[in-house]
Amino acid sequence: MRYIPNTEEQKKEMLKEIGVSSFEELIKIIPQGLRLKKRLNIPEAMSESELEDKIQHIAQKNSNFFLMKPLVGAGAYRHYIPEAEKFLLQREEFWTCYTPYQPELSQGTLQSIFEYQSYISRLTKMEVIIPSIYDGASATAEAALMSLRLTHKNKIIVSNLLHPHYRETLKTYLAPHEPEIIDLPYNDGLVDIKKLKALIDEDVAAVIIQSPNFFGGIENMAEISEIVHSKSVLLINVIVESMSLGILKAPGEMGADIVAGNAQSFGMDLNYGGPYNAYLATKKQYIRQLPGRIIGETVDVDGKRVFVMTMRAREQDIRREKATSNICTNHNLNVIAANIYLSLMGTEGLYQLSFLNTKSAHYLEKLLLKSGKFEKAFNYPFYNEFLLKSKENISTINKKLLENNFIPPLKICEFYQADNLKNVLLFAVTETLNRDDLNKAAKILSE
Amino acid sequence: MKLIFEKSIKGRDGYSLPQDLFNEIKIEECLPEYAISKDKKLLSEISEVDVVRHFTKLSKLNYGLDDGFYPLGSCTMKYNPKINEKLASLSNFVYAHPLAPEETVQGCLEIVYNLNKLLCEITGMDEYTMAPAAGAHGELTGNLIMRKYFVDRGDLRHKMLIPDSAHGTNPASAAMCGFQVVEVKSNEKGTVDLKILAELMDEDTVGLMLTNPNTVGLFDEGIEEIEKIVHDKGGLLYYDGANLNASLGIIKPGDAGFDVVHLNLHKTFSTPHGGGGPGAGVIGVKKDLIPYLPTPNVAFDPERKKYYLLDAGEKSIGMVRAFWSNFSVLLKTYAWILSMGPDGLFNASETSIINANYVLAKLKKYYKPAYDRYCGHECTVTGREYKKYGVKTLDIAKRIMDYGMHPPTIYFPHFEPYAEETIMVEPTESESKEMLDKFVDIMIKISDEAKTNPELLTTAPHNTPIRRTNDALAVKRAILTYDDELKLKDELNYQEKDINF
Amino acid sequence: MSNKVIENLYYTKSDEWLKVENDIGTIGITDYAQDQLGDIVYLEKVEKGKKLKQGETLTTIESVKAVSDVKTPIAGEAIEANTKVIEDASIINQDPYKEGWIAKIKIENKDELKNMMSAQEYSEYRKE
Repeated sequence: MRYIPNTEEQKKEMLKEIGVSSFEELIKIIPQGLRLKKRLNIPEAMSESELEDKIQHIAQKNSNFFLMKPLVGAGAYRHYIPEAEKFLLQREEFWTCYTPYQPELSQGTLQSIFEYQSYISRLTKMEVIIPSIYDGASATAEAALMSLRLTHKNKIIVSNLLHPHYRETLKTYLAPHEPEIIDLPYNDGLVDIKKLKALIDEDVAAVIIQSPNFFGGIENMAEISEIVHSKSVLLINVIVESMSLGILKAPGEMGADIVAGNAQSFGMDLNYGGPYNAYLATKKQYIRQLPGRIIGETVDVDGKRVFVMTMRAREQDIRREKATSNICTNHNLNVIAANIYLSLMGTEGLYQLSFLNTKSAHYLEKLLLKSGKFEKAFNYPFYNEFLLKSKENISTINKKLLENNFIPPLKICEFYQADNLKNVLLFAVTETLNRDDLNKAAKILSE
Repeated sequence: MKLIFEKSIKGRDGYSLPQDLFNEIKIEECLPEYAISKDKKLLSEISEVDVVRHFTKLSKLNYGLDDGFYPLGSCTMKYNPKINEKLASLSNFVYAHPLAPEETVQGCLEIVYNLNKLLCEITGMDEYTMAPAAGAHGELTGNLIMRKYFVDRGDLRHKMLIPDSAHGTNPASAAMCGFQVVEVKSNEKGTVDLKILAELMDEDTVGLMLTNPNTVGLFDEGIEEIEKIVHDKGGLLYYDGANLNASLGIIKPGDAGFDVVHLNLHKTFSTPHGGGGPGAGVIGVKKDLIPYLPTPNVAFDPERKKYYLLDAGEKSIGMVRAFWSNFSVLLKTYAWILSMGPDGLFNASETSIINANYVLAKLKKYYKPAYDRYCGHECTVTGREYKKYGVKTLDIAKRIMDYGMHPPTIYFPHFEPYAEETIMVEPTESESKEMLDKFVDIMIKISDEAKTNPELLTTAPHNTPIRRTNDALAVKRAILTYDDELKLKDELNYQEKDINF
Repeated sequence: MSNKVIENLYYTKSDEWLKVENDIGTIGITDYAQDQLGDIVYLEKVEKGKKLKQGETLTTIESVKAVSDVKTPIAGEAIEANTKVIEDASIINQDPYKEGWIAKIKIENKDELKNMMSAQEYSEYRKE
């Protein structure tokens, strides 16, 4: 087997040098009664060409997604990833190596992560960045747990417009700690500010608000921050479409205490849902309660500037059950991907691209409203996702879109049961749809 | 090496955008005033050429698995097949949106469904969830499943038993699930002390989290007794699958009585480590626990001959992540299992066990084994012998780098009496006899150097791109971003040679 | 391995020392403890007025590679914390018995001193 160099001959030699006559002697200690009685009942080994043939055939059972234009986002956004990034990520020194516990052999990884922490710090205007939690949902949950630890309180207010998967994950992570989770309803597509004022009190640990929210709406985070901070409550800002940071005000400027951000838009492909990556961002004073790995700068014995994993006394291998989290392996390669992506895009590129996304989305919304077949579900400012109520049956129009090579928008009733959301679609637009694509989509939807 | 920010020059760009930027639309027409950023966020401005050179140069500061021996114990740094990378990059998978209609992703669903079946057969479990994104994530998921199981029976238990040799994620995960961690001491053989276990196991205990072979690489022969002790009190047995590479085709955790199993796909199943992920920590359970698995599962409708996402039902613990799984990691796992076949999987375990015992046999004259018995797929020796020359195990590890190899795991596991001196070597099946011989030769050379020239070791490494780092200073200075560094610019006073290497 | 002890102090099995002057006890960690921990980088500030039982966690010390709880050697009320070591925790490594003191407490029950070790006893206990 080409992945296993040692031959049967060599293994025999090695057994001799070990001082046993057979492999069985090495595993004698494993009770006979528990051993496999027969060979594993799995398919016989395939050659590489047979394997490729098989998987290529399975791939054909998927649609030809490269050519399809997505009108759906909802936490996963198709953006163009420059080929240079994909090329660089294929360097084995980045993708085959282990966690950088030995900094002398890992400066490539460590410096990349440090650069990424620096980028995210500037984008969010927050002081301390944890570069990798598995995804936005688990990052939100970790942020919530962190807020419980910081405040010693047991009540959390959660916006109803937090991504439904994130809300589910939050509930799952919080279940053993049994905090009171208060649902913050929305009004006209944004968080209900009046309700928030009524719900906020000194017993609340944190308020979790996603912006842009699940409907695409841009919350007034500064106003929310004032209300939240009128009591000693933490504001957790969740960002699901990080591309928005190119043009929108940074959460750090609007009073966020903790930011949990899905970084998928920074250079990660859709890959049917994962792996993506998320960052946590917060103030320096909270650093010891942060979960996950962080990279810091120092010097080596020769005075060279070097990078190392630091503040490790928070982590599971040192603190064990007292660790801030159990997280060990994270999504590191995606940190490097995002670092390369942001380096290629740069200040101008990210800004222009972020701007383009929102312009394209508004262009489509206008077209669809003009067609007369749609009306606004609510009236709120949005970034690159928006709700529209259809006059036609949404299953029918989604089918039409699919037949015309569009990945259809999300039927919002799959997640929200309100009557006024029946027959409402959540559209997303990124730079992967040009004017022709948008005109085409509008035309199909106008017929 | 210079930071990307230090290479930035105004006006440079590394991106391309379409010609049509919808310039007829003004920013005020899109975004509310309260949300628009007053200035552009400063990243960097670098040409594609220089970005490529920057990261190419950075990569060369790393030591990767394709560079050579990477014998980290409990990490299973086995060869990452290149064909699997290609298959995971097929565009029908890469561009598949997780919320695309089910009929458009039948390929993805088929792979997940079939992988589930394969993993069940390999490990003797009844059903897998692919949701967890890493081993620790799987441990948390497993703990939550066990918790829900007991809550459902009106029997919420509060304690979790964990061996002192366990990986830190075990107690951390149990604590995240609200359990009180009770440590079970190992006996003088390095395995779970059955007497202590029997005393500690009671009806307020969820069960035991066990790694087998354990974190020192030893198969715990008390497994049948352990199973009885835990199950007799109505507890559940959790299997930390980090060391499954010693068991493929030999023993199935399901047959040994485990109720919940997590697998590290980026260890046993060859998917790349990525410098710390992404991997996946899939969870397998026995029948009784299936209702508690995260939602959704992938099911198959034999009538319509279609795969679909099935809501896991009321008893499910809910979700532990957004969307469904780390799909590309699952795909690589699937491809690897198909490439290995039943004989290949057995061969992997057999070879890794022989490799580890071979290293143990050849090292033990120079580095005392932690335990005097055959090991599993990894062996643990100690550097204790060299303390008297003023050489710590850390120094030995750093010196190994000078010989062009990645050092084994050191200082783990932590439990007495070897805590400070452990050297854990896991060759995996991917290493040849010659490589192992080379490693042993290097270790022997170093043992000589420890006696004749200890300073060479205490100041190692000498031949790496950078040398020993001042970790205490890193904590003290807390420079965690480039802006932090800029604030301390004068104090740091870096010279050109310190940055530009 | 470092294992210096100072006479006339009381010692605990968990490597703390206690200096008794009338009703006031000064607490720190031993030379052995600081050596085991390695470079100390941080410790949590002890709250004034905190009432503690013998053996209860007084504070947590963090080094680059480890974390250790400092246990209160004797029951009492915390009256003062050493701000110097909060600013520069490495002082504990350099001078664990003098400048590296951690907190002062008002001793509740001098009888508890009976449970503690002398310098000689502790030195034996931590001998390699």
